[in-house]
Amino acid sequence: MDAFLTSRIISDVLGGMTNGMIYGLVALSLVLVWRSTGILNFAQGAMPMFAVYVGMVALGHYFGYWVCAAIALLAGFVIGAGTERILVRPLYGKSEINPIVVMVGFLTVLEAVAAAIWSSVPRGLPSPFSPVDYRLGGQPFAVSPFSLYEIITALVVMAAIAMLFRYTNLGLQLRASALAPEVSRLLGVRVNRMLTLGWTLSTGVGTITAILVSSNFFTGLTPQVMDGIFAFGFIAAAVGGLDSPIGSIVAGVVMGIILQFVGDYVNSNAIILAALGILIVSLMARPNGLFTPVRTRRV
Amino acid sequence: MNLVRAGRSNVLWLLVAIIGVVVAFVATPKTSDGVAISVLFLAIVVSVAGLSSSSFRQGHPVMARAAKVLVVTCATLFATFFFSETTNFNLATGAAMSVTLVGLSLLTGISGQISLGNGAFMGVGAFVMAMWANHHATTPIVLALLIAIAGGAVVGLLLGLPATRLRGPYLAGMTLAFAVAFDAILNYFNSWTGGDGGLQLPHSTDPPRWLLRLFSHGVSSLTANTLWLTDITVVATAVAFFFMANLFASRVGRAMRLVRDNEVGAELVGVNLARTRVLAFVVSSSYAALGGALWTLINNSATPATYSFALSIVILSVLVIGGIGTIPGALIGGLIYAYSTNVIAWFTARTGLNPQGNLASQLNGIIFGGLLIVTMMFAPRGVAGLYRTFRRRPVVKGRDVTPPVTETYAEA
Amino acid sequence: MIQNKLSRRLSAGVALMLCAGMMTIGSSVVASAAPKTPGVTAKLITIGATEPVTGIASPGYSDVSRGANAVFKYVSAKGGVNGRKIKYIIKDDCYGTPGFNCTGVPNTASQTHALLSAHIFATVGSLGTPTQDSVRTLLKQNHVPQLFVASGSRDWNNPHQYPGLFGWQTSYNEEGKIFAQYINATYPKDNVCYLGQGDDFGADGLAGLLAGGVSPADTALYNVGALVVSQGASVAPTVARFQSDKCTVVVLDTIPGATDAVFGAALKLGYAPHWIISSVGSDPVTVDAPFASLPFPDPEIGAVSFSYLPASTSTNVWVGWMRKVLLADKTDFPNFTSTSPITGNMAYGISYAVSFLEAVKATGKNLTRATLLKTMTTHTFAQTPALTALRYTANNHQGLSGGYLVTVTSATSTTALDGQVYVTDSSTTGAVKKVSAVKASIPAWLK
Repeated sequence: MDAFLTSRIISDVLGGMTNGMIYGLVALSLVLVWRSTGILNFAQGAMPMFAVYVGMVALGHYFGYWVCAAIALLAGFVIGAGTERILVRPLYGKSEINPIVVMVGFLTVLEAVAAAIWSSVPRGLPSPFSPVDYRLGGQPFAVSPFSLYEIITALVVMAAIAMLFRYTNLGLQLRASALAPEVSRLLGVRVNRMLTLGWTLSTGVGTITAILVSSNFFTGLTPQVMDGIFAFGFIAAAVGGLDSPIGSIVAGVVMGIILQFVGDYVNSNAIILAALGILIVSLMARPNGLFTPVRTRRV
Repeated sequence: MNLVRAGRSNVLWLLVAIIGVVVAFVATPKTSDGVAISVLFLAIVVSVAGLSSSSFRQGHPVMARAAKVLVVTCATLFATFFFSETTNFNLATGAAMSVTLVGLSLLTGISGQISLGNGAFMGVGAFVMAMWANHHATTPIVLALLIAIAGGAVVGLLLGLPATRLRGPYLAGMTLAFAVAFDAILNYFNSWTGGDGGLQLPHSTDPPRWLLRLFSHGVSSLTANTLWLTDITVVATAVAFFFMANLFASRVGRAMRLVRDNEVGAELVGVNLARTRVLAFVVSSSYAALGGALWTLINNSATPATYSFALSIVILSVLVIGGIGTIPGALIGGLIYAYSTNVIAWFTARTGLNPQGNLASQLNGIIFGGLLIVTMMFAPRGVAGLYRTFRRRPVVKGRDVTPPVTETYAEA
Repeated sequence: MIQNKLSRRLSAGVALMLCAGMMTIGSSVVASAAPKTPGVTAKLITIGATEPVTGIASPGYSDVSRGANAVFKYVSAKGGVNGRKIKYIIKDDCYGTPGFNCTGVPNTASQTHALLSAHIFATVGSLGTPTQDSVRTLLKQNHVPQLFVASGSRDWNNPHQYPGLFGWQTSYNEEGKIFAQYINATYPKDNVCYLGQGDDFGADGLAGLLAGGVSPADTALYNVGALVVSQGASVAPTVARFQSDKCTVVVLDTIPGATDAVFGAALKLGYAPHWIISSVGSDPVTVDAPFASLPFPDPEIGAVSFSYLPASTSTNVWVGWMRKVLLADKTDFPNFTSTSPITGNMAYGISYAVSFLEAVKATGKNLTRATLLKTMTTHTFAQTPALTALRYTANNHQGLSGGYLVTVTSATSTTALDGQVYVTDSSTTGAVKKVSAVKASIPAWLK
């Protein structure tokens, strides 16, 4: 049993699952923004990155890891809400390309400002969990306290969001505001506030993801830390369907596992090629994502 | 020539010409550059004013365009003989970039398909050019450029076919993935593409003997080489813009706009949706490939690092600022691309910032990103759009035949 | 109607005449003559370089040109060489990788053009293999010497095609052979694994290992782009494979970022082989930075690397002189104190600057490009801070050809392993020879 669990295949599955959880979280935050406001947020990696930098400032003052994480999360909420009110609000109802370009510009500015203030030198955000793998029968088992922390955090966040949407009044209002804003207004739902809340939640999820990624000791925090992960998370969301939170999470995890195998058995180059391939194949099969319910077109 | 036209537009042209001459002298390091730019400006102003007469434009639009392009091209070529090498190099870089931009202008502005991958298409053209030159060194330049364009068209077709069914964010996602994966694709074929180091052109591109013999005076080798490459680029850019201008105004262009705005209506009128979309993709990728191939010529090399995802972002940014969906917007974007760093460096020097400090090195990003946001929120049609709005003549029934301002995809 | 036709024909005719006139006038313009010896006056030598001042390659590498500039400033303040001061123009080419992290249109070609229009005498110490490969032809066409390229590639050793092009540091190939000699002597029975960069750095390094008689049980090459996109995770499967191959010696031809990624993956797996790391990616200050705040001992301690310059903890007189130069430069090294570590990058820049000054001094008052290039291939650079003599010939422009092994003893410093200096060449058959280190002495005009 031990030999099986530490075998190459299981190691790849476990490692891929850990990465996949991160991609799934990013995909989830993209879906949150899309479903609540119909906008594709290209700055979905950069906004949380900035929030974590703000939390890092606290680290400089000798506060502990958890305090910094809490400050970062708070900063994430503020940034999310602020972005929605200032940048995004004027863009509703306009053509599709405007918000994409504005968010790309915002992404550029955030990364540049972060580097201007804090420089691009990687900073460590040391988490209290050791990254050294557990050992089973003397062999490394591809799970460490740190990766357990990542997986559990991701699951908790996903469950919390799910419960929020399904079982609370607030969740109902959020869904209603996105689906039928006029009717919701008539029924007394504060639609604008719900839109802001959608962004706030989404950036919150993103910030948690960024904290997890930055705590990974051998990458650390740089202004570009979320770029690659955003790309993979975006692909996961596109594969799973921007309208389907569960779909994009599943797509993220599965993609993480597949890419881990590709990286191990082929070579590191092939990872992004495989991701591109997965994306093209799935979009050809289902142009709106694998898990989006098919809508018939009315003429 | 209908040079003398009463009214507001005359004063405007005069104003533009004066500003242009002043800027030319102030902003250029060498006086000869200033003289050259002034001549260029005046020639362009004169020809555009004269040849823009509405009757000429209405009666024979293609010829009018051809005449305009011809005069501007000649004026530019003339100016390049006087420009310093650095200015020529920057001009060529900016011109090649504007070829790419005009292709993206068609794709995103006119055809309504968002693409974040045009930097990668540039890379396709660049590497096809470099690979071909390394294996067949004696191919004439024009033929080599056409081959690079063909390469771009093929890749555009491969990506455009699945793209027909995709909307908005999914299309953006696919083109983004392609741009990010391009470096890996190049690396996969690294025996052909030279890996991280890229490819160099086997020997520098010299002007052909017969052309050199036309000029009895010798010109120093650097000047001839950069000058020659700049002139090739200017001519290629002019030809590319000429075709694109015709495309914008043609039936195909109108069909693309219709597909963008009203799919159902387009189908009812008999337009093939998929074919129109794919055509826009292929044209856009071919233009980007031409831009990349010209860059390879100018730089004598093609490296993967140049054609990264960041380039696609830059392309989109400068086009948005210039004016998406328009032709002048592409030219303005190219200009911005070529000179932004000079302007920012000048600004840094003026304000006394440490040029190697954190803030100065990020100014490029801060300014570009900021401009992008501001432009999209307040002037979505970019600089070209602002100018059009300012210049828009009132439509008088039966008399004024100015074609209506081309609707850009981004609406204010 | 007739009026329209006439005006149309007139317009077209004028346009064509305008064009013809322009082409004729323009084509008979003669370019202005360039100055006799660009970049050299009686009082000043102007040189330039393209460096990654900003961008992904800049942490660490930006110190190279700053170190060189510190030397030029120091010497110019004392009156210069042969009465000429040195002006060093550094242009940021961002390692040729565009991105908004970069200040400039990050194109080595355009920055080199800018240097050319500043009429530099030569480029000195421009950094990077792909970046400098791409401007070789341009510089050659303009007869601008391309001196002391900061890279260990063999591309700079092409005297017949590029007579003005010179490398400086020991090549990757030679380093590999010296590593091979060490492995054969110290770990003759162990399984050796190799990870190198997927360009000439890795290819040449591996070739050197093989030429030196080491056959790795497993080899892998990593791609820089994939490394950046995956935040270092792309090397993890390779490290896991090395562990399951039971390699107890691992040779790394990696840049510092990749070295870090490998250490991270190895820590995670509890894998601790003997590390042998190229001089390119072993500088302790750079490599150990991410691990500084962790409760682990530094993973690089005990690793063996290679150096062609005296280790910063050695008693070599040059080290003291380097400190003096760095302390004098308050603009670029404002926080440098008498106890700050001298990083490998700083030492590198200082050393090639000294080589350049030595060449200029030896050429004498009549300094032109031709006379300098003659000096380069005839002079023995005995005063460079390197461990081996720097010598170029008409057939060999590579540069230094050896060095000694060092071991990483702390998070900021290396120490010589046994002080034995080795030299070799880039051929597959040339042996690795033991020599004694060049006697270090600082010439009077530099003190």
